[in-house]
Amino acid sequence: MKLLLLWVPLVLVPLVIHNNVVLTILIFTYLLGILAVSFNLIFGFTGQLSLFHAAAFGLSAYATYLAMAHWGVPFWLGMVVGVVFVSLVSLVIGTICFRFNLRELYFAIVTLAFSELFRLVILNWNSFTNGSLGINFTLTPTLWIPGRGVVPVQGTMMWYYLSLVAVVLAVGFYSRIVHSWMGRCFASIRLNDDLADTLGINVFRYKLIAFVAANAGAAVAGSLYSFYISYIDPHYFSIDQSLAIIAMALLGGSRYVAAPIVGALVLTALPHVINVNAEARLLIYGLILILTILVMPRGIVGVLVTGLRRPSRAPQTPERPRHAA
Amino acid sequence: MLLEIRNLTKRFGGLTAVSDLSFTLAEGDILGIFGPNGSGKTTLLNLISGVYQPTSGRLVWAGEDLIGRRPHEIAAGGIVKTFQNPQLFGELTVFENVAVAGHLRLKRRAGWRRVATLLPARHGSDDDLHERIERVLALCRLGSVRDQPAKSLSYGGEKMLGVAMALMCEPRVLLLDEPGSGLGQDEIRNLDEVLRDLRTHGTTLVVIDHRVGFLGRLADRAIVIHHGAKIAEGPPGDVLRERSVVDAYLGPGHA
Repeated sequence: MKLLLLWVPLVLVPLVIHNNVVLTILIFTYLLGILAVSFNLIFGFTGQLSLFHAAAFGLSAYATYLAMAHWGVPFWLGMVVGVVFVSLVSLVIGTICFRFNLRELYFAIVTLAFSELFRLVILNWNSFTNGSLGINFTLTPTLWIPGRGVVPVQGTMMWYYLSLVAVVLAVGFYSRIVHSWMGRCFASIRLNDDLADTLGINVFRYKLIAFVAANAGAAVAGSLYSFYISYIDPHYFSIDQSLAIIAMALLGGSRYVAAPIVGALVLTALPHVINVNAEARLLIYGLILILTILVMPRGIVGVLVTGLRRPSRAPQTPERPRHAA
Repeated sequence: MLLEIRNLTKRFGGLTAVSDLSFTLAEGDILGIFGPNGSGKTTLLNLISGVYQPTSGRLVWAGEDLIGRRPHEIAAGGIVKTFQNPQLFGELTVFENVAVAGHLRLKRRAGWRRVATLLPARHGSDDDLHERIERVLALCRLGSVRDQPAKSLSYGGEKMLGVAMALMCEPRVLLLDEPGSGLGQDEIRNLDEVLRDLRTHGTTLVVIDHRVGFLGRLADRAIVIHHGAKIAEGPPGDVLRERSVVDAYLGPGHA
């Protein structure tokens, strides 16, 4: 509950700062924050490096827009279509990966292959997705506001509060899961899944739940993000996007539910602070990633909480099961 | 009959680790399994707990066939094993390790209703679970280290934590794989007390141990395995004096 107070200053920010650049950076931070926080459920808490997260984000963006354009549904229903579609796709991919017990790099590679598969479909299905040109949105989300009726979501202020509410709800949702018996099951899978199995934990079921729940968050982020920038293209699915998500989670701190938002802030603000071209930006992401892993494996929030002290074992190294003879 | 093992065989390539082995276990039994190193004792426990699938033979648990079941299903059914080399969640505290092992208890009590405890409005009461964890920690003499990370424990502490986690699963049969190996004198005494406690509580136990004297006093019955096959069965005192058993352990010509 006390942690809830940390959000209060963010509610007040637009009242104090009228600079649109700052507010825009924060909107991106919140929307990408949802993406990074949801990723961390499967990565930081369950220990599975999914490279499908960017694809879940992109698929939902396309599904939301196409549902609105073809079926004429309002934005929020379109988002539900996106989340349901992504959840069903995740259920299939997760079932395949976890039934075959793909671990660590094998899981990462297969999820990457699935996201490439979807990227190629989106890229080549010109009549439906407009291929590599992407889609410029002509539709805007609407919102019912007491006293003002149904209004289109536009302008920095409205997007600021909408994205802030969304990220707070996302953090609430994931922290509820992480700090429950289900979160304990996820931790047991991350730390020693053979042991979890012999203690009666259905490893397959809980990996699948974590994968679907994480991708559902990416779907929400994808719908909101694409409508904020009013544009989608197949680049949403790219490996750079997946790497940026990993960087956000690691940089913020993969042991804390809300910490990836801090990572999202740093990576969103950075291009504005140091003016570099896109290629150099990737280089800087890479350097940040390497430095984070070497110097502060617990991330920025981890450093703030426990100091620079290096843990005796890097958090991302899964416990090697020591097999009984 | 609680557990019935019939003609169980496990081959790894050309190696027959368990060969045509049969025995039964009744409620409240304490069965000792003896055998030289590499005789197939651990493989046998891994077969019962579903870690390995047998090449042939049957495992019948309370009238149900266990072949093809996953380890978590077998644990949920009530057969839980500890590991010879302790397996832990090293980053978590001792308390949290035991809490993870409380999953089956939660599942049995709440069933699908446990999903409802995830809703924001419902602050699912963990009191009952906490009480049980404290009792298990006290039984295993881990109360004083409850908030330490599991990886900081001594080897003996790790093994006791393994037993505590298995007990938290509320097993009907507990399979203990050399719980005493590698322990110091004090730790051994500790373990023996815990096992005697379990015996008084009527827990059904299958124990692998090399300490013939101790297990001889604890167990009602013993089987001796050599090259994966059962070579003797009966009261521990009698079994360990049998000619074939002495030959298996010490080599022929020692008796």
